[in-house]
Amino acid sequence: MLLLFLFLNGVSAKCVAQDVDYKAYTLFVYNFMKYVEWPEAQSKGDFVVCIFGESPIQKELAGLASSKKLKGRNIIIKNISKPEDAAGCQLLYVSASKSGNIKALKDQMMGKPILIVGEREGLAKKGAELSFVTMDDDELKFDINKKEIEQHQLKISSQLISLGIVVN
Amino acid sequence: MKKSYKLLLFIFLISSYVSYAQESTNPIAVTDSTKKDTLNYYDMTIEQLLSLKAHGVPSELEKLINSLISVASKKPLNVRESPSIVTLVTAEEIKNSGARDLIDVLRLVPGVDFGVDVQGVVGIGMRGNWAHEGKVLILLDGQEMNEILYATTQFGNHFPIDQIKKIEIIRGPGSAIYGGYAEYGVINIITKQGGDINGVAISGIYGQTEKDYMRRNINLSAGKKLGDFEWSVSGMIGQGQRSDQNYTDVHGNSYSMIGNSALNPAFANIGVSYKGLSFRAIGDFYHTSTQDGYDAIYPKPYTQNFNSMYFELKYLWKVSNKLTITPKLNYKNQSPWKTPQGDSIDPSYLKTATRSTANITASYNPTRKINVVFGGEYYRDMAVDKLPGDTFYNGKQSVSFYNYAFFVQGLIKTRFVNIILGARYDKHNVYGDAFVPRVGLTKKFNRFHFKALYSNSFRAPAIENIDYSGANGIHPERTQVGELELGYQITHNSIFTVNFFDISTKNPIIYYTVGAGTDAYTNQGRTGTYGLEAEYRMKEKWGYISVNYSFYSAAGTQKSAAYRVAQDSSMLLGFASHKVNLNASINILKNLSLNPSGTFYGPRWGYNSVDTSGVAQLHKFSPVILFNLFLKYNTPITGLSIGVGVYDLFNQQFVFIQPYAQPGSVTNLPHAPLPGPPREFIFRLSYNFNFKAKTTN
Repeated sequence: MLLLFLFLNGVSAKCVAQDVDYKAYTLFVYNFMKYVEWPEAQSKGDFVVCIFGESPIQKELAGLASSKKLKGRNIIIKNISKPEDAAGCQLLYVSASKSGNIKALKDQMMGKPILIVGEREGLAKKGAELSFVTMDDDELKFDINKKEIEQHQLKISSQLISLGIVVN
Repeated sequence: MKKSYKLLLFIFLISSYVSYAQESTNPIAVTDSTKKDTLNYYDMTIEQLLSLKAHGVPSELEKLINSLISVASKKPLNVRESPSIVTLVTAEEIKNSGARDLIDVLRLVPGVDFGVDVQGVVGIGMRGNWAHEGKVLILLDGQEMNEILYATTQFGNHFPIDQIKKIEIIRGPGSAIYGGYAEYGVINIITKQGGDINGVAISGIYGQTEKDYMRRNINLSAGKKLGDFEWSVSGMIGQGQRSDQNYTDVHGNSYSMIGNSALNPAFANIGVSYKGLSFRAIGDFYHTSTQDGYDAIYPKPYTQNFNSMYFELKYLWKVSNKLTITPKLNYKNQSPWKTPQGDSIDPSYLKTATRSTANITASYNPTRKINVVFGGEYYRDMAVDKLPGDTFYNGKQSVSFYNYAFFVQGLIKTRFVNIILGARYDKHNVYGDAFVPRVGLTKKFNRFHFKALYSNSFRAPAIENIDYSGANGIHPERTQVGELELGYQITHNSIFTVNFFDISTKNPIIYYTVGAGTDAYTNQGRTGTYGLEAEYRMKEKWGYISVNYSFYSAAGTQKSAAYRVAQDSSMLLGFASHKVNLNASINILKNLSLNPSGTFYGPRWGYNSVDTSGVAQLHKFSPVILFNLFLKYNTPITGLSIGVGVYDLFNQQFVFIQPYAQPGSVTNLPHAPLPGPPREFIFRLSYNFNFKAKTTN
């Protein structure tokens, strides 16, 4: 009876369960763009978001770019496979699969006005300026490395700081 | 019986079809809402980011399985990563089901069952094992409800279930945190506090069988949270009866339980807190009557009362963001199994016991990924025998014991696994020490989760176990438990979990008699079970459904004679190897829900008679289906809801079987199965009046 019940209710149902919601991640990224201030030179023209490595967020970010602007600026999404290609980016999104490269990225981007956002938890302690955290109750949060943000000539708003977790 | 099966199958199929139909239509709904969402989604304010979840907008089921509980680790963790096999029962589920008392609520939990002890008292079993005397810890708002003379908790129209906010149940060992009453499980009852009540709530239940009333209880609660200050006062008073059936002892003598099986609760609970400081006082006065003694019935009924008072003063001191220290003082005063002089046919029992406890617990989080909980506890027990001429084993009318304990637990969360390591050491001035380590690995990966747990646990001998232990003395019984849980979230709204367990207890504390019937306790042999529990839960807009199956076996294990079934080595006395539960709620209309629930019990074994030479005879009891229906209506009057229903629709007349015995003895004969309530029609009414929210400009 239990098996019959499971068959009718579970197996035949659409499997749309708890996969990561990259739309929520994208909304956070969009707010990072809005509440972080870049130097004057990077505050004009297109706003370029680079994704380092493969991540399902790319599709969502592309959707964002096609429907939204950032203070009148077009949002451009680029996928890069080498850190060197990040030169023209304002925001560098490091996918979970490329987390191992974070120290090299940190060294390479030292002092440049690039906001490095880590998809995987813990990256803000290793060199990213922001990184995502999933809390025990599934709340989505982010860590903030204020030192790194200052080193990259960026300013983060107090509103954004109040939502995140400062790690240093 | 066949008709019962068919009806159940029919209900299962109907609910399955309804759920399938809803799932089939979901893609359209999702698509539509997605389109609408996309237009506005990225315009959310920055403050709204606080409500976002990593795995999307949570369904009602996801809210449940992601909710944080601390019963298994002290450190709050979500249900799927909590390092124990856990069941979470919500107030909504209790209210919808129309449950009459805790037996109705806990019966629906996998692995939990009930049996009769003596003198009309019903106690709990866990995974096929009799756990009544000190093996399952019952906590109510942090207070240990087990009485400390025998360590029992009595069930049946006792606790105020209308005031429960949630119940966290560990279906496995909890001694490494909670000590010597948590060998097989922990039931952590959390009642509604001031902020939850936020006003006044009143509720009542009336239950009627074909012959007589079964219960008439009233609950009243009031509470409020004002900034850092929170208060609540709640109470319950009522009258009930165990059954309207005839009880027949093993000798074949009967009496009607109408008017002779009272279960009359009077319960009060006061909680006050300001910032980290909190105070709680609970009074529990459970007055019963019965006509059965141990094996034989008495010529007339006698009263038997269980009175307890609990007090707690606690301070949650946040030393820093990383360190919290909680000192706590508890005091309880209990007079259980009280059979007064002059009113009693059974030998009078007038003992009072007190326990004074000091506990300090620290929780330190050096990083978000590491938590360390450590602390110490000291308690002092005192018991006084108030019957003139009666003494304890020391020849005096009072005894006193003390126990101290230290505990530590470390939790490390990594990307691949959460590791929990813990241990507790107890030292008692009479029966010695007990050291119980545990280790657990848990993790969820999106839809999948697992738990691998290994724990030692122990049962601390209670005051009367020591008192009646004789020259051999008494020692803690020790248990080793291995558990593995696997879970898979099938959809946003449904999850399937299965767990396997293996319980092995050495030197269980066994009751027996010597000579012409003198009570005695000793450590004897081994016992234990292994088995599995599987559960499927679905929560949709139309309601919810939960189906679970429990199985235990004792085949191949060493079994103490006290629990053994000679005719079937896979079973232990009193409890069915196979149990299936159903608990569902179907929203027929916006304010009207139909709530079916039920339990199927496989065959059970128990003693119910004696042969011509006076030796007790085992009997195999047929499978039973208890099926219940409850209709709940939220009236247009805000806060007022009414409900009507029937419990044990098929009038199966469930009996509680005694899960232990002294086979072969002609002096220590078993208690015959105790009838529970037969088909019972219930009427419920509840009204919540909310205080007005404080307006802010």
